Parts: sequence; structure tokens; C-alpha cells
Amino acid sequence: MNRIDKHPVLNTTQNRKKVNFKFNGETQSGYENEPVSSALIANGVREFSVHQIEDAPQGIFCANGQCSHCTLIIDGKPLKSCITPLKEGMEIRTLMHLPELPPDDREPENFKPLNLNCDVLVIGGGPSGLTSAIELAKLGFEIILIDDKDKLGGKLLLQTHKFFGSIEDCYAGKRGIEIAALLEKEIRTYSNIKVFTNTSVAALYKDKKAGLFIDYKNYALVDFQGLVISAGAREKNLVFPGNDIPGVYGAGAFQTLVNRDLVKSSDRIFIIGSGNVGLIAAYHALQAGITVVGIADILDDVTGYKVHADKIRRMGVPIYLKHTVLTAEGSGKVERVTIAEVDDSFNPLLEKAKTFEVDTLLIAVGLSSIDEFYNTAVNFGYKAVKTGDADEIAEASSAMFGGRIAGLQLAKILGKDVEIDESWFAKAEILKSKPGKIKSEPVVEINENYTPIMHCYQEIPCNPCISVCPSGSIKLEEALGNIMDLPYYTGEECTRCGMCIAVCPGLAISVAKKTDDKWAEVVLPHEFIPAFGVGEFVTLTDTEGNEIEKSEVIKIQLNKKYKTNLITFRVSLENAAKIAGIRVQDEDKIKPLPIPVFNYIPDNSILCRCERVSVGEIIKFIKENDIKDANQLKQIRVGMGACGSRTCSILLPRIFSAAGVNWYEVTQATKRPLSIEIPMGAIINEESGETA
Amino acid sequence: MKKYDVVIIGAGSIGVPASYYLAKKGFKTCVLERLPSEGRGQNRAAIGGIRATFSDPAKIKICQMTIDIISRFQKEHGIDVDWIDGGYLFPVYDTELEDKLKKLLDVQKKFNLNIDWISPAKVDELVPGINRNGLLGGTFSPEDGSASPLKVTGAYLKLARECKAEFYFDEEVTGFEKDGSKITAVITNKDKYSAGIIIDASGAYARDTGKLYGLDIPVDPDCHEAGITEPVQPFFKPMVVDLRMDEQSANYYFYQNKEGQVVFCITPRPQIFGKDTDNTSVFLPLVVKRMLNLYPRLRNLRIRRTWRGLYPMTPDGFPIVGRTKEIGNLFLAVGMCGQGFMLGPGLGKIISELICDNTTDYDFILNQLSLYREFAGTEVLK
Repeated sequence: MNRIDKHPVLNTTQNRKKVNFKFNGETQSGYENEPVSSALIANGVREFSVHQIEDAPQGIFCANGQCSHCTLIIDGKPLKSCITPLKEGMEIRTLMHLPELPPDDREPENFKPLNLNCDVLVIGGGPSGLTSAIELAKLGFEIILIDDKDKLGGKLLLQTHKFFGSIEDCYAGKRGIEIAALLEKEIRTYSNIKVFTNTSVAALYKDKKAGLFIDYKNYALVDFQGLVISAGAREKNLVFPGNDIPGVYGAGAFQTLVNRDLVKSSDRIFIIGSGNVGLIAAYHALQAGITVVGIADILDDVTGYKVHADKIRRMGVPIYLKHTVLTAEGSGKVERVTIAEVDDSFNPLLEKAKTFEVDTLLIAVGLSSIDEFYNTAVNFGYKAVKTGDADEIAEASSAMFGGRIAGLQLAKILGKDVEIDESWFAKAEILKSKPGKIKSEPVVEINENYTPIMHCYQEIPCNPCISVCPSGSIKLEEALGNIMDLPYYTGEECTRCGMCIAVCPGLAISVAKKTDDKWAEVVLPHEFIPAFGVGEFVTLTDTEGNEIEKSEVIKIQLNKKYKTNLITFRVSLENAAKIAGIRVQDEDKIKPLPIPVFNYIPDNSILCRCERVSVGEIIKFIKENDIKDANQLKQIRVGMGACGSRTCSILLPRIFSAAGVNWYEVTQATKRPLSIEIPMGAIINEESGETA
Repeated sequence: MKKYDVVIIGAGSIGVPASYYLAKKGFKTCVLERLPSEGRGQNRAAIGGIRATFSDPAKIKICQMTIDIISRFQKEHGIDVDWIDGGYLFPVYDTELEDKLKKLLDVQKKFNLNIDWISPAKVDELVPGINRNGLLGGTFSPEDGSASPLKVTGAYLKLARECKAEFYFDEEVTGFEKDGSKITAVITNKDKYSAGIIIDASGAYARDTGKLYGLDIPVDPDCHEAGITEPVQPFFKPMVVDLRMDEQSANYYFYQNKEGQVVFCITPRPQIFGKDTDNTSVFLPLVVKRMLNLYPRLRNLRIRRTWRGLYPMTPDGFPIVGRTKEIGNLFLAVGMCGQGFMLGPGLGKIISELICDNTTDYDFILNQLSLYREFAGTEVLK
């Protein structure tokens, strides 16, 4: 079984009920109510369906109910397995080509229209949706809050790492999963917030109603006065040959499998994209016992926070800058990934290719706002606000804060006399900040007193270290006058309590003390179950991951509050200030093949995954027909699939430009409802109308 | 000023096929379209049904030509437009409708249409699992069928361009210059065009276009909503038309296209006039309730997308085709009443023969569909 049975942060001993099911006739087991897709992946299944075009195998892709690649025949019906809870005795089969409609010819008996009513409909129960609902609830509005997952929290539920930001505004130092639980608890205390989980908005209608697909079973129409659009973002995809084979998916899907469902989806992964999402995914993979062979980014610098990147490098993950993915290859699933260095025009240099043997390739090249609900709302003249990633892609810390502002703004639009503290807007801007200047690493003197050393010298919105220091000995520089400023130790009163080491989301604080003329003691954070004991020697690195020395472990302590181990090492005095982290991954596990192995045919890349239309086909069609309107691509089925071009539309500018057409002259494709497919039986609530 | 033999207003169901047939006959042709590409008005909203089984000579003739063209399209032009000869089925659950359709059969047979009354068992064979409760039978016309409006119009655009027809997209007609009883220039927001003949194929916007050249064109669009499901293995063949009514709707119809997707559409009751094409919450529960009642097997089929389109209606439900008395070089091809897609190919070909060859073969069509008729009758099978 590919399950995660030990984890430094997550509770892996949850009391879950084991159930048996059949997959293609063979008995397998999983946990009750976990997504069918996760149960199958835990049983080693990678191929879920076979596309009618080219018999292409399809595996898990969005793990989010958006695409339809994980469709299986479950008890005779074609269902998306990532949103279908597993039950005892389920009969599950691989979907070959198009499904057959089950000949269920019972006359329908029940027509039960479901009608709901609220002042404010909040679409999306992630960090921003939850905080805006709370603000609106405090003002007395009747709220319906919906979320398409079974638990509230959105992406917080996948975030097992400690948060950046500030403690007073956005729970910095706490983990996303802990914050989700706190917010959910608060939401549940308001009797005027009605929560619907496992519920999607199918459409916003002109007659001021929203169509909800509740529990993926029932359909309800909701009347509302105002809307909070906090629907989050979707992961951007990439175009390269092999981008469609099972084992290529987004970092978000990966985190869903690993962190939410505790499924060890992979043994060896490669990651494309060095933004915070890719960096954190790498960290989560390491914590789950998965080898991270490397991260590649086409740019010449890491796009995420430097502290994140440094942390990953210290653990032994190489980051290949100025590199792009050439191909993902394998028979029915990913077996190899080839990357190559790019020239200054971002063209790959095939002679500089490197092939790695991996079973998974994560795409972490950014997010795009789910903005279609807001656009529709504006178009129809509704009173609506958007917040969180649905408004602008940023950290969850900023989403939580922004959500509060959005809630109050909507209250104002709906006629409530509320004041919004001016300083909130400035704070919201700071929390959204992109990483700022990188300063030079300060030189720290080691003496007989404990000294915290900050391996953090890029301006980012983060300050929990100053909040937790009991003696107030860590302060922010006053260069910018906000939490973007860098922390420093005032030079007094460190008691080696270890709080700053344990709270730092970047694992970027060590504490050192000179013990004699040759030796020093260094305390480092370690968010893993230690694979070493006292007396053993472990490879330590500098801030950016360069190996410094092998040092002896002299003490292992667990800080329970922050679930972080503090490991004390005996190190040479001359290296003590430089040492910043613990290598966790062996170098020989991450080497490329001696000779690259790949077959690079860029035109074969799949653009429209649902309908399997390749880049080559689209470029040819655009050229031959002088296409200037993306809607015309529907003639070759682009965008006609389950996702309604929500996955691929973002890739179109590149394709048009490759076909010699200026994207700015191209009319964008119209996005139409429904945003999720609904069985006809569910529209009339045949089965039951009881949920509401 | 750009000069052409023919200027067509509207690159839709009618304008695009017409441009091909005219250009093929050597006429220098251009098409002016306010939208960014072909078929972006109501053509994209059509669900794809094509039938010749009407009750009047004009539409029967035009659609017979369409079926002839579309069924041979791949063979002739090498382009697959998803033609399926699934036939049209009108299932019947009450004797009143049975009588009405049977009477109509006599008329239709006089026109040599292949249509007949079939038994409930035969209906069930064509649509396995259809509600047999009270089913009396139905009429079935096996030679009717369906094709993809997107692909048909896209194919005609390609063919027309190959014959040197020119298309001006994102270009709106804003006025006309006239000299006595002749249009001397079509004015757009970008340029001016002169032509020996101007074809008005402006669909749902015909009344607005008419105002610009000074004629009252009785075309008022009403709205219909449609939807499409996920694709599944083929499970029924014909276009199914349920002519019954309830409080909120008149007929509705659906078929399974070549991709395996079921496409469906319903007529609201009373009609909703106007040009609004935004989705409403009423549509899905209304149409699904009726479809499942007729065909329960659809219950597990997932609806993927919905949209709303316009039927450019005339007072009597018949199109307006032909030259005008007031403006000598103006030819009307408007008011297709929701059947533009199935009329388009045949009508395009007929228009080219009328204009280029001065044929008199279609005088019966021009008489029946004249702008100057009484508009008193009503179409039996709208």
C-alpha cells in the first residue's frame, strides 16, 4: 500500500474505517469516504481511463473535481473519482473510451425543486471566503457559504507548513491545516452562516439566482442580495510533449493526495517551477518520504521566497535555473523526465539535456484566478466582491486579511453603515507583497553566549520571530517600516529557548555558541522525524545548501507547540556561524542518467486535454483558416470538453503567437455555464431533496 | 469605397453558405459581419437538426437541397461536418396529436417525403427505454438528420475563401447610401462598399438593418435555451421532438450528435421576445423535468454546457426571401424562425442560382416567402 504512515506534522493514525472494493474485478482496500481516486492511487493504480482518441491513458490530473480525467465506472455510472467517496463493496472499473449510459428506465417520480435564500452567498470556503463570511455574519447578514470540498479551509487544508506573515493579522507561524480548523470552528459558532460543503456553483443566472450542485447529488437555486467570490485559483498548465501522461499533474493535486489524503502518490518526483508553490510542494514531498530529484525554472532566479528555496536546497534538492522541461515519457505513466538549459530567448538547448528517472512530474508554474463568477456577476449587475486568489494570486496570509476587508466592503455596498480601518488597506498590500530586495548575508560573531543567526536576508512579509522571542531580543530593521523589514538580534538576553528557531516558517534561524577554542554548538530546526540519533554524524550545509561539514548530533528536542525538532550539533568553531541546515537527501539519489534519453516532438504536446487536441493540430488550423477568434477553435473541439477550456485557455496566447497571430487581436473564447457537469436526475432532485 | 458584385450582410447560417455558392459562380463577393468570426450570432446556438419534413413547398424544397448537400459534404469537399442520418421522430401520447400528425402525413406524402406513422414498439426500438406509458406511436422520417453547425459554417467559410470570397469581421453596417430605388453604398464603421446586389442575411438583427435602408422588416427574435451533455456511447438515433406543451413551455427536442453528446432545446411558453442571450435559472429544471419524463434513461447523463439563442421570428413563422420592390438591388434572406442552420446550405445555393443564373425554377419559393405576403398563416410544425 502506498500510504503515508509516518509524518513529522500530520496525524497518520486517524481512526479511519477500512473498506473493500473491487477494481476491474480485483479486491482492493481503502478507507471509507476517502476519494475513490486516492484509494486507487494508494493501491498503485495510475491509469484511470483510456481516451477514445489514440487510446491514450489518463490518470489523476486536477484532483479537484474540475477536469474529468479521473472518471471511472463506479457501480455502473461514469463518475469523477476524485469527488466520489469510497464505500464498502463498490464495483469500480477503468473507463474505456466513452461510457455507456446505464439502461435505468424507471419512470421518475420525484420532482423536488430546492430553493434557498440568503443575503450573501459566499462562493468558496478558503481563507478569504471564511474571513469575509465571519465579518458579514458579525453584521447580522444571513449567509450561505459553499465549498466544493468536504472540509472548509480551501488550500489551507493542504498547507502543512508554518505560515509567513504576522501573528496578529494572519496566524503566522501556525500551519495552514491548524488555521483552517480554527476558522472552521469560528464559522460554526455563527447561526446565521449556513455551510454547504461538497457543493459547487454550477452557474450564476441572469434572473439573480445561483444554481448549486449540493453534495454532488442535488440541485438548488439560491436567491441572494450580494456575492462574495472567493473561489480561489486554478493551476496553470504547461505545454510539452508528454504533458498528458498519467503522473504529470499540478502541485496542488499532489498536495491534495499527500497532505489531505495521506497517499504516497510517488516515490520520485521532479518539479517544474520555483515559485512558492513548487518550493513548498518539494518540502511536503520530502516530509512524506518522497525523493525530490530536482526543481527546474526557466528564469535565471528563483521566483518564490529565497528562504523557501534555501531551505529546499539545504535539504539536498537541486534547483536548475534557466532550465525548461523538454519531455515526460514512459509507457502508460511517467518514467522519465528530461529538462534542458535554455538560451536567452528561452529556447531549449537540446545538447544540454538531462534525463531523470522519476514517476511523477509536478507542474507548479503559477496560478490563475478563477474569475469567471465575478465577471458574470459584474456583467449581470450584481452586488459582488472578489477576494483571495479569485481576486489576485497571493499568499493565504494575505487572503485571510483581504477577506475581512472584502466582507466589510460588501456590507457597505449592501447598505450597512460600516467603517473600514484605513490602515487595513496598507496592511493588505504589504501581505500581498512580492519578495523584495536580497541583502548580503550578515557576518555574525560567535561568542560564549547563545546567538540567534538569521539566514533570512530577502525582504518578505514575515515577522513571527520577533513576536515569539520572550526577551524581545529580535527586532525588525527600520528600513521600510513594515513587516517586510529583515529581523536582527539585538545582541542580548538569548536564553536558547528555541522559540524563534521553531516558529520560523523558513527554518532560517539557528542559534550558536562557542564552547571552546575549536568547537561550537549549533541548534538547527528539523521538521522531520529524525533519521539519526545522538552521537551520529550528519551532513550540515550553509544557508544556500553547500555542504560545510559532517557534525555530531548531541541533543534532539521536540518543540511540541510548533511540531519542530531542535537538533543540537557539535561543530567546528570556524563554521558555526555559516551552518544553517541539515541535508536530508543523498546526492546519489538525484543524479541524472549518464546519457539523456528523450524524443522531443513539440507539436505532439496536448493543449486541450479533455478532447486531446495537440499543439500541432491547433497551429495548423489557425494558419489554414486565418483564425482570429478563439471560439473558432471549437470546430476542432478545443474547449468543448468537461472543463470548458478552463485548463487550456491560459495557454492559448503562446499557441496563437506560434502560429504567427498577435494574441491581442484575438477574440477570447466565451465561457459558458455550467462550471460543473450535473446529471439530469440531480437537476430535478430525483433521489432526494432532503439536504436543504 | 470597395467594389463587389455582391455584398452580403451577416456571416451566419445563411450568409456564409451563400457567399460560397456566389463566389463559386465567379461573382466577386464579400461578407460584412459585426462579430469577430463566422456563425457567432445564432448559428453557434443551433443544435444541428436538419429535416425536410415540413408541410409547405418552400421549406421542403430548400431543406431537401440542404440534406442533399450536407449528406454528401464529406465526399464532395473532404470535410467531415458530423452528418448523421438519424431521422426525426415525433412521439405521440394523445389522440388529438395523433390525428393532427396523421392528417399532415397525407400532405407530406404528396411532396414525396419519406415519413410515416410507426408503432410504439418501433418508437422504442429507435429510442430504447422511451416512456411507453400511454405511447401511441409517432411519425418518423428516416432521411432527416443532423450535422454540426460549427463545422458546417466553418467549412463553408473555408470553401468560400478558396473561391476568393472576402470576409470583413468586426465590421458593423451603420448605414446605406441610396440613389432612388438603388443602394449605392453600404456603410460600415470602417469602410464603404458598393455592389450590384446586396443580400441582407442579418438574422436576428434584420429589423434593425431594415431601418437603415428604410424598410419595415417584420422580424422579431425570441429566445430559446439549449444545452449539451457529456459524450456517451450512441444509445438512440433520431432527433426526438415532443410537441406537447405544459404551463411554461411548448415543444422541446433532443438528439445524440456524432460525438456522443445529447443536445437539447426547449421553446418557452409564452414566447420571450428580445435579444437577451444570458442564461436563466428557469431553463434546466424545466427542460430536464420534461426530458426525463419522456426518456428516463437520460437521468445519469451529465449536462455539460447551456446557452441561449434567438429565433428570428416572422409573424407567420416562415422566412422572408427575395428581392424588394422598393430597392431594386436588395435581396432579403432573413427571418429563418430558428431554422437558419437547416435552411442555409440549400437557400445559399438557391440564392446563387437566382442571382447568377436568373433561374425561374424557384418562383414558387419566392412567392411563398415574399416580403409582401399576408403573414396570415401559421406553420404547423414550427
